[in-house]
Amino acid sequence: MKKVRLAPIYVALIVLAAISVVPFIWMLATSFKHGHDVYTKVPSLLPLDRKTGEWAPTLENYEYVFDLRGLGTAFVNSVWVCLILIPAKLLIDALAAYAFARVPFPGRDKLFVLMLGGMMVPTITLLVPRVFVTQELGLFDSQWGLIVPNIASVLDIFLLRQFFMSLPGELEEAARIDGAGRMQIFWQIIVPLSKPVLSVVTITSFIFHWNDLVWPLVVLNDPEKYTLPLALQQLATAEAGRSYYIMAGAAVAVVPVIAILLIFQRRILQGIAFSGLKS
Amino acid sequence: MANPVLADRSTATPDKPGRRPRPGFGRRDHVVGWLLIAPALVYFVGFLLYPAIAALYYSFTDWNLRSSPSWVGLSNYTDLLFDDVKYPHFWKSVQVSLLYTVVAVPLTLVAALGQALLVNAIRRGSNFFRLLLFLPVVTAEAAVGAIWRWLYDPQYGLINVILGWFGVPPQNWLNNPDLVIPALAFISAWQCGISMIIYLAGLKGIPVSLREAAIIDGAGPVQRFRRVVMPMLRPTTFYLLVTGVIAALQVFGLVYVIFSAANKSVTGGPEQAGLTYVLHLYLFAFRYDAMGAACAMSFILLVFIMIITALQFKFVKQEAA
Repeated sequence: MKKVRLAPIYVALIVLAAISVVPFIWMLATSFKHGHDVYTKVPSLLPLDRKTGEWAPTLENYEYVFDLRGLGTAFVNSVWVCLILIPAKLLIDALAAYAFARVPFPGRDKLFVLMLGGMMVPTITLLVPRVFVTQELGLFDSQWGLIVPNIASVLDIFLLRQFFMSLPGELEEAARIDGAGRMQIFWQIIVPLSKPVLSVVTITSFIFHWNDLVWPLVVLNDPEKYTLPLALQQLATAEAGRSYYIMAGAAVAVVPVIAILLIFQRRILQGIAFSGLKS
Repeated sequence: MANPVLADRSTATPDKPGRRPRPGFGRRDHVVGWLLIAPALVYFVGFLLYPAIAALYYSFTDWNLRSSPSWVGLSNYTDLLFDDVKYPHFWKSVQVSLLYTVVAVPLTLVAALGQALLVNAIRRGSNFFRLLLFLPVVTAEAAVGAIWRWLYDPQYGLINVILGWFGVPPQNWLNNPDLVIPALAFISAWQCGISMIIYLAGLKGIPVSLREAAIIDGAGPVQRFRRVVMPMLRPTTFYLLVTGVIAALQVFGLVYVIFSAANKSVTGGPEQAGLTYVLHLYLFAFRYDAMGAACAMSFILLVFIMIITALQFKFVKQEAA
C-alpha cells in the first residue's frame, strides 16, 4: 500500500535529479571526446567514436586547456588565493564574533548594528569604489588584490556571533576563576566547541571564493594571475566554437567543488539551512 | 535578520556592557574587545563604509579613472532617467531585469517547493536526492554559463534534442530575443537547491500534530497543502521571495559569461534582450569608463531594492492582518 503511493514520488524525484545532474554528465562526456566526435546529430552522454560507436575517450582537451590556455596556472592561483584568504578570513571573523558575543565594551552593540546595516548595501553599489580603494592600496592587478578586499565578512561574523552566544557560559566562568585570559578561553574553549559552525563557514567561504568571477574580473588584467572562473570565462570567449575545450575547462573549475560537497555534504546542507549561503 | 531558521537561535542575549563585571576581567575588557574586532573593523571601514559613502559622492560627479571626479550635481541621475540619447539602453536594461525577476523568482520558488515536498515525502534515499538537487548550487557561474551555452546550442545542444522527443522544433535559445529571458530563468530554477534546503527546514518545522488533526478532520492532500502546509511555510516563502528578488535584480555574472562568449564582446545578447541592469552598470564602469554614471545607476538600484522590499513587507503584513 505504502510502496504504491511512494512510487510516483520516486519517479518524479528521479526525473528532477536527472535534470540536475545530466548537464554535468554532458560536460564531462564532452570534455573527454575528441573534437571530431563532439558535433553529432544524436548527442551521446559517453565519449564514443562518431563512426564506429566505440569507447574513445581522450585527455587531449585537458592537456590543451592546462598548457596552452592557462588553466593550469589559474588552478594554482585559485588554490593559492584560497589557502591564504580562507584561514585569515576565518580568524578575523571569529575573533570579531567572539568580541561581539562575549567581550563587553562601550559602543559594541551599536557598532554591530552598524555593520549589519552595511551588509544591506548591494555588492554592486560598492564595486566601483572598492576597485578604487584597491588601486590606492597598490593591490590592483595582483593576487593580494583578491585577498585583502575580501579579508572579512559581516555575514560570517554574524553567524559566528549567533553560535558563540548560544554556547553555555559556565565553562568560561570556570576558566576565568582559574585565571585563564580571554585568548586562552577563545582558543581552548570557544574554538573546540564551535567546530561545526567554523567548518560550515570555512566550506561556504571556500565555495564562494573559489567560484567568484566578478571581483577577479574587475581587479585582474594579467592573464598569468587569473583565477579559474576568470580563466574559464576567457577560454569560453576565445574558443567559442570548440565546446570540448570549454567543457574541459568547466570540469576543472567544477570538480573540486563537487568533491568538497560530497565529502562535507552533511555539514554543508545543515549549514545552508541556517545561513542561506552567501547571497 | 529575516532568516526564519535563525530566529530561534538568537534567543540567548549577549552580556550587556552595563552588567556587573564577571570575576577576573575588568576594564581591561574594553581594550581586548577593541583589539579583537580591530581587523574586522578596518575591513568594514575600508571596504564597506567608505565605498558606500564614496559611491554616493561619485554618483554626483563626472568621473573616469584617469581624471579626478568633477561635481555635476544630479545630472547623472536625470540623464540616466530622461536622456535617451545619452543613455539609450537604460530603460531597456530596467525592463530586462524586471522581466527576468518576474519570471525567474516565482519559477525558482515553485521548483524549490516542489522538490522540497517530494524529498520530504520519502525516507529512503532522501539524503541522496537532496545532494543531487543541490549540485547546481555549488557550481561556479562561469561554469554554469559555459555549460548552459553548450546545452542551449541550437544545432548540437542537448535541450533541443530532448524537446525534439516531444515534437518541439529546435529553438535558437540564446539568439532569439523572445527566448533569452525564459532560458535564463530556467537556469535560475535549475539552481534552486538553496531554496529547496530552506523549504525543507521549514517543512520539518511543521508539527506532526497539525497534519494529523487535518487528516482526522477529513482533509485530503490538496486541502492539507493549502490549509496547513502553505500557511505554515509563509515566513519561509516570504524570506525566499525577498532575498530572491534582491538577488534576481542583481543578476550579472551568468549573463556576462553567456553573452560575452556569444560574440566576443559584451552586448547583452540579441537586441539587448539579456542586457540586465547590472550588466549595463558594469559596462558603464569598466568598458565605457563612466564611473559617475555607474555609481548613479547603483544608487538607483539600491533605492529601488529598498522600495520593493518595503512593499513586500507591507503587502505581507496586510495579508496577515
